Amino acid sequence: MKLTKSIKVAFVAVAASSLVIAGTTTGSAAPKKSLKSIRVAAVVKGLDNPFFIGIKEGIEETALKYGVYANVQAAPGLNDDIGQANKLDSLAGQNYDCYIVIPISSNNLSQAIGKITKKKKTVINIDSPVDAASLKASGGKITSFAGTDNFEAGKAGGAKMVAAIGAGKKIGLIAGLAGNVTSNARVDGFKAGAAGATFVGPVNADWDTTKALDAANAMIAANKDLAGFFAANDQMAQGVGKAIKAAKLNIPVYGVDGIADALNEVKAGSITATISQYPYVMGQMGVEACIIAAQGGKVPEQTITPYYIIDNSNITAALTNKSTRGFFPNQTPPGAYNNPYTKLIKK
Amino acid sequence: MRKSVAPAKPGATDLSFLDKVRNRIKDPFFWSDWLVVVAFIFVVAVFGIIAPEEFLTLWNLNNILVAASIPAIIAVGQTFTVLTAGIDLSVSSTMTFGAVTFGLVFTNSWPLWQCVITGVIAGTLVGLLNGLIIAKRKINDFIVTLGMLSVASGAALVLSDGKPRQVISEQLSTLAIGEKANVPYLMMVAFAIVLIAHFVLFHTRFGTHVFAVGGDPESARAMGISVVRIKVAVYVISGALAGLAATLAISRIGSAEPAANTSILLNSVAAVVLGGVSLFGGRGTIFGPFIATLLLQSLANGLTVIGVAAYYQYLSIGLVVILSAALVRTDK
Amino acid sequence: MSNNSYAIECIDIKKSFGSVEALKGVSMHAKPGEVTAIIGDNGAGKSTLIKCISGVYSSDQGSIKINSKEVNFTSPEESRSSGIETVYQTLSLIEDLSIWQNLFLNREITKGFGPFKLLNKSKMKEEATKMLKNLDVYIPSIKSRTRRLSGGQRQAVAICRAAGWGSSVVIMDEPTAALGVRETAKVEDLIKRMKSQGLAILLISHNFDQVLRLADQIWVMRQGDVMAGLRAKDTTGDELVALITGAKTGKG
Repeated sequence: MKLTKSIKVAFVAVAASSLVIAGTTTGSAAPKKSLKSIRVAAVVKGLDNPFFIGIKEGIEETALKYGVYANVQAAPGLNDDIGQANKLDSLAGQNYDCYIVIPISSNNLSQAIGKITKKKKTVINIDSPVDAASLKASGGKITSFAGTDNFEAGKAGGAKMVAAIGAGKKIGLIAGLAGNVTSNARVDGFKAGAAGATFVGPVNADWDTTKALDAANAMIAANKDLAGFFAANDQMAQGVGKAIKAAKLNIPVYGVDGIADALNEVKAGSITATISQYPYVMGQMGVEACIIAAQGGKVPEQTITPYYIIDNSNITAALTNKSTRGFFPNQTPPGAYNNPYTKLIKK
Repeated sequence: MRKSVAPAKPGATDLSFLDKVRNRIKDPFFWSDWLVVVAFIFVVAVFGIIAPEEFLTLWNLNNILVAASIPAIIAVGQTFTVLTAGIDLSVSSTMTFGAVTFGLVFTNSWPLWQCVITGVIAGTLVGLLNGLIIAKRKINDFIVTLGMLSVASGAALVLSDGKPRQVISEQLSTLAIGEKANVPYLMMVAFAIVLIAHFVLFHTRFGTHVFAVGGDPESARAMGISVVRIKVAVYVISGALAGLAATLAISRIGSAEPAANTSILLNSVAAVVLGGVSLFGGRGTIFGPFIATLLLQSLANGLTVIGVAAYYQYLSIGLVVILSAALVRTDK
Repeated sequence: MSNNSYAIECIDIKKSFGSVEALKGVSMHAKPGEVTAIIGDNGAGKSTLIKCISGVYSSDQGSIKINSKEVNFTSPEESRSSGIETVYQTLSLIEDLSIWQNLFLNREITKGFGPFKLLNKSKMKEEATKMLKNLDVYIPSIKSRTRRLSGGQRQAVAICRAAGWGSSVVIMDEPTAALGVRETAKVEDLIKRMKSQGLAILLISHNFDQVLRLADQIWVMRQGDVMAGLRAKDTTGDELVALITGAKTGKG
């Protein structure tokens, strides 16, 4: 039902824009800069996950579009919290106007952010939120946060699955890195949305495909009446899909993120649906927020980025939707979404 | 009969200085000790030339020292085990386990110094287990410590229930961010460990026995040295240092994280190899791996600073390790 | 025969490994200031006897007396503390340690007290030089690593170590088996010098010429028994061969 989906997206977009807080922070006290002279540094999580490649693409292409300089660095691995802090420290000592950060754990970058704030530079946080308490302790300041409401995304997924499989069924839950805020939000949201269902897990699979495969195998073996699976990200959903296939079951599995491989699997049928996020859009917003700050404008404090459930009813549209350089599909949502930053940029 | 010294002129009994230098350069064991220093100077020089304003600032050098502190301590522990022809693959999990126990007692409002000691004791226990199984049951160290990697990692997850515990402490913040005379406190701790380790290895009976056991355990045993005791001791040292490193890690990232950080292990092995410690045991220094740690961190930092994409960073660090291993002859 | 003049005396030593009787009741003795050779074919029990004396094995029956005092060794350390040093064929030298470090291995001299004992390197180097000089062994630098030495030099270092620490008996197992002619000659000179310092030297050797050159007393073993005990000047190479192979039975 394509119309229903479009309405759903529009609703989400409107809801999102109504969540934008009116009060904004001032950007840095820095003087107005020309676009050409703006330098942005970003530290994402590991580049072994296509989600963060999407963020990198969003940052780099947006930078190209406006003519600003961007240096995107990543932690050596998805769980190297110390390595990521080292990277941000290295960049903090350099002459950048603005830093875009995605912390691996909610605390690990707080100290480095504190150092950046002391230098009176701007910090923009996207995707995974920085913990407020550790930020305060280090004296750091985040000018703007742009990220998906993971709870709402999970909730939408939960509601959809119950609608598909019926009430009162058993659903297996596969979570990401232990204790991770994003993972917890998605899983909790899914449970809230899947009213009336019973759950197995959540079992942590560290965002890893193979670990998820093993966890799903174990769950299937122990629960003959499993009616569906939810994995907190697409890479894990891929593993679950393999387990389902091996067990010759015909039950749905939902993932989160909307990475290219997952989309292909949705088309092939091995993953039922993915609650797609738009990392490209997050990266884009990050750069735009940086530009606003560097130009001395007021940056919106918090923005909810869109999500969109993609299954075989709208997979074709998602697959054909490409970015500027055309590397990946599904960079931007098929429907309208709110980006409060673009209009604030002075040319 | 090996001739290590060739006369310069027939009939001359003394070598000219140049010939002595030439002989040193031809000696592969000379390079196993000094290659890392040359490589370090080279890397710093290259980045210093490419991007002097970014790389050679006090702030940036400070970053390198901070980043090198934790790996340096782990590398010291790893050096002790490798010197006995062993290896400790469980270091990253041991550090995590130490961190988790720290977090546990910290959230129960124990005084900070007790939390630090708890982490060290936790690491020591893991090391003790490693050492006893390896030395007494005579099971291969690779296998034992690999197994312990999982055990310690699992124990950390069980103890922490998979949840990180936030650790906010002013003293730890000061440790992580503070400095004196441009030397970060973290590096002071690390360097103190390096000095103590060097002293123990080269100025005590125990140190000599470590080299003996690594070089030729049969001969060491024949001379009455307890190979079992030395092997247990080096794994205890490795575990204890990992437990100490946990405190430094917590100070940097503000929480006791239950997920193990595998790059810690890889960096320690790379540092030990680059630093000229023979994987066959019996040969090596403490300063070699220390300089190698500085080199690896300078490399990572320099590549970040000049904007090299992350993909190329993995490549370059891997190449450096392989090249060094190829250039340094540590075979018997 | 007076027992008081023996540095070491073994009386009726028996040792079995499971059902194999390695030593069936071996009696022998060695005097200080003499080279006492133990010869025999493979499997005669020479190594087993040596290991009983050096504490690696404990004999099942029989007794060992060191300087007329009865001893019972249950470990190599106990044997060492009775003044017995052994130089095995493998030499027990650590290649990557220096010569002086090897000479003092597990007997390092320290200064300081409590947990802060430092190695007294200068003292050890001084003493090492003395140990080598004592037996007229010339090594260019005691600081060089042992791996740089030739086979003969290593043998010399191992022997100096044993001579330096041993106060009653020094046991040598095939000391020149791996050496060339010149180095063999040097080691034999070294053994003669040790002898002149009053140590009792037990020599295991397959080389009868060497045995006849160096030894004062010869014990011939065969299949776990001592076939004969002879003074070297009273015998010939042919007689030794005959005793080893059993063609001739010995006089006691």
